[in-house]
Amino acid sequence: MNHTTTALDVDGVRVAYPDGPDERVVLDSLDLRVAAGEMVVISGESGAGKSTLLTVAGLLRRPDQGEVTVAGTSTSGLSDRQRTTLRRDHIAFVYQSANLLPTLTALEQLELVGHIRGERSGTARARALALLDELDLGGRRNQLPGQLSGGERQRVGIGRAFMAQPTVLIADEPTASLDPERARTVVDLLSGAARERSIATLVVAHDDAPARAATRRLRLAGGTLHEVVEPATDRAAAGSVLGVGARVGTGG
Amino acid sequence: MFLALRDLRRGVRRFMLLGVVIALVALLSTVLSGLATGLVTDGISGLRALPLDRLVFQEGSDATFSRSILRPADLKRFQQVQGVKATPLGASFVNAAPVDGGPSLDLSMFGVAADSFLVERADARAALAGPPGLVLASELQDQGVKVGDRYTVGGSSEEYPVLGFTFAGTYGHTPIAFVSLSTWRQIQYSNPDDDRFSAIAVQGDSPELAAAAADTSTVVLTKTQAYAGSPGFTAETTTMTLIRGFLLVISALVIGAFFTVLTVQRTRQIGLLKAMGASNAYILRDGIGQMAVLVTLATGVGVAVGAALVAVLSRGPAPVELAPRAIATVTLALIGAGILGSLFAFRRITQVEPAIALGVEP
Ligand SMILES: Nc1ncnc2c1ncn2[C@@H]1O[C@H](COP(=O)(O)OP(=O)(O)OP(=O)(O)O)[C@@H](O)[C@H]1O
Ligand SMILES: [Mg+2]
Repeated sequence: MNHTTTALDVDGVRVAYPDGPDERVVLDSLDLRVAAGEMVVISGESGAGKSTLLTVAGLLRRPDQGEVTVAGTSTSGLSDRQRTTLRRDHIAFVYQSANLLPTLTALEQLELVGHIRGERSGTARARALALLDELDLGGRRNQLPGQLSGGERQRVGIGRAFMAQPTVLIADEPTASLDPERARTVVDLLSGAARERSIATLVVAHDDAPARAATRRLRLAGGTLHEVVEPATDRAAAGSVLGVGARVGTGG
Repeated sequence: MFLALRDLRRGVRRFMLLGVVIALVALLSTVLSGLATGLVTDGISGLRALPLDRLVFQEGSDATFSRSILRPADLKRFQQVQGVKATPLGASFVNAAPVDGGPSLDLSMFGVAADSFLVERADARAALAGPPGLVLASELQDQGVKVGDRYTVGGSSEEYPVLGFTFAGTYGHTPIAFVSLSTWRQIQYSNPDDDRFSAIAVQGDSPELAAAAADTSTVVLTKTQAYAGSPGFTAETTTMTLIRGFLLVISALVIGAFFTVLTVQRTRQIGLLKAMGASNAYILRDGIGQMAVLVTLATGVGVAVGAALVAVLSRGPAPVELAPRAIATVTLALIGAGILGSLFAFRRITQVEPAIALGVEP
C-alpha cells in the first residue's frame, strides 16, 4: 500500500507571517509531491520561504490553508500530539549545522532516537552501532560533538536521521557549511539512502552538489514552486533559471 | 531520563552552583531542625519524661502551672473516671539559695505524691516518702551540687537537704527538682496541709474525661499540648517552624529560577527534541527528572554534612540534638520543594515551537 501512496503530499498550502498591520504571504497555493525513493532539491533566493516550506512539510508548523499528507495520513485534522507522533514515526530532519546535542556522544545521539521511539535499548544500540559503521564513524562513536570535525558532525546528524527509519527525510542546507569534498560525501549519503532505503527526500540547497544528485529540481519563488529545466552548473547559472521556471502541480 | 543523566554527568560545572546552593540550604535546614529538637528537649525534657498521658489544668490557665489552681474535689472527680489513673501535681519556679553560700539555683519544682505513678523508681519513692528534701535533675550534679547540700527554697526559711539525683530533665529550660507534695505546699503556701495543687496528671484515656472537665471547670490537655505552657516553648517552636518554612520556599524559588533559566537556554534543544518527535511529556519527564536527581543528590550531601555537624555540636553546650525523624522530614520536604520549583518552567517547555529547530543557528 505504501508503494502506491505518495510519501509526502503538500496541497494548496498558504503561509503568511504578520508584518506590522499587514501580512506577508510567504507560501501561496503551493503544491508539492515527493514519492518514496525520490530526492527533490529546492533552491530559491534567501527569504523566499524555503525553510518555511520545510517546517510545513515536516509537520513543525500548521499552514494557514491547505493540507499536508504524510505516509497517507492527512494532518489538518490531527491534534498537536498526534502530529508529534506522526513526525516521530515518519519524518526525520538534517540541519545545516548538524544540531547535535552537546552532551551526548555520537553513539548516544543515535540511541536517543530509539529512546524517544520507545525502542528497547539493546535494539537501539545495535542499530546505532551498525549505522555509525556504515557512515564510517565507528571509531568516533564515543566522541562528544565538540570533539568531532564539521564533516563528522554532519554525518552523525545524518545517522540520527536514518536511525528514525523515516518515510520522509527533510534537509535544510545540509552542505552549506561544508567544503566541496565533504559536501559531496553528505550528498552521496542522502541520495544513496533515498534510493536504497526508499526515503522520500526533500533537500533545500543553494549549492550545486545536492542539485547534481537530485532526481527532480524545483525553485521556490513568489510563494510557489517552479520546475528547473536547465541544468545549473553554478550559483549564477541557477539564478538565471528564474525566467524559465514553470508552475508545478495542479495549477497547469 | 536518557538525556538528563548524561547532561548532568558531562555538564557537572554548569550544575555545580545550584548543587552547592541546595546543599547549603539542606545543611542549614538540618542544623536548624537539630536546634529545634534540641531546644524542645532543653525546654521540656522533664515534662516529656514524666509517665503521664494527660494534664488537667484550671480553665483559662493556658497550660501554665502557676496560673492553675485545683482542689481535692477536682481530683476526686477525675479519680472517679473509669480506666484512668489521676494524681495531683504541684509545679512552680523557685530559687534555691545554699545555706553555706555559693551560687543559688533556679529550679522548676514539681511536688508529687511519693506513692503515685509519677514516681517510678523505688529509691526516689523512698527518698520522697522520708523527711523533706530535694531530688534534683542530674545535670545539677555536673555543676557541683552534692547530696547533703542544704538549701533554703523560695521565700521560706526552712532548710532542705539534697536527697539525691535523677534524670529529671527540665521544664521552662530550668532543671527540675522533685519534692513531696507536702513539701511543695510548705514552700508554695507556707503550710504543708494546704489542699491546693497546680494540675492533675492522668494516665490512660477515657471519653468520660470531657465530662469530668466540664463538671470541674478544667481542661484536659495531652502531654504534647501541655508543652505550650512551658515558658518560651511556643515562641521557639514557631520561630523554628517559620525559618524552616522560609528555607523551603527559598529553595523552591531558587530551583524554579535556575530551571527556568536553563529551559530558556535550552529552547533550541527543546525545539529539536520536539522535531524529533519527543512529546511534551517526554521532555518534561527528562527536565524535571534531572532537577529531581540534582536536588536529591545535593540535599543528600547537605543533610549528611549537616547531621555530622549536629552530632559534633550536640557534644558541646549548645542545645542541639540529632533527630532522625526530623532530618528525614527535612530531606523529603526539600526534595518536594525542588520538584515543585521545577514545575515553574512547565509552560515554558510546553510552549516551545518545534519549528525553531529549523531556525538559523546562532
Ligand atoms: N517567525 C517569523 N515571523 C515573521 N516573518 C518570518 C518568520 N519566519 C520567517 N519569516 C520571513 O519569512 C520569509 C521566509 O523565510 P524563510 O526562513 O522560509 O526563508 P528561506 O528561503 O529559508 O531563506 P534562507 O535561504 O535565507 O534560509 C522571510 O522573509 C522571513 O523574514
Ligand atoms: Mg532557510
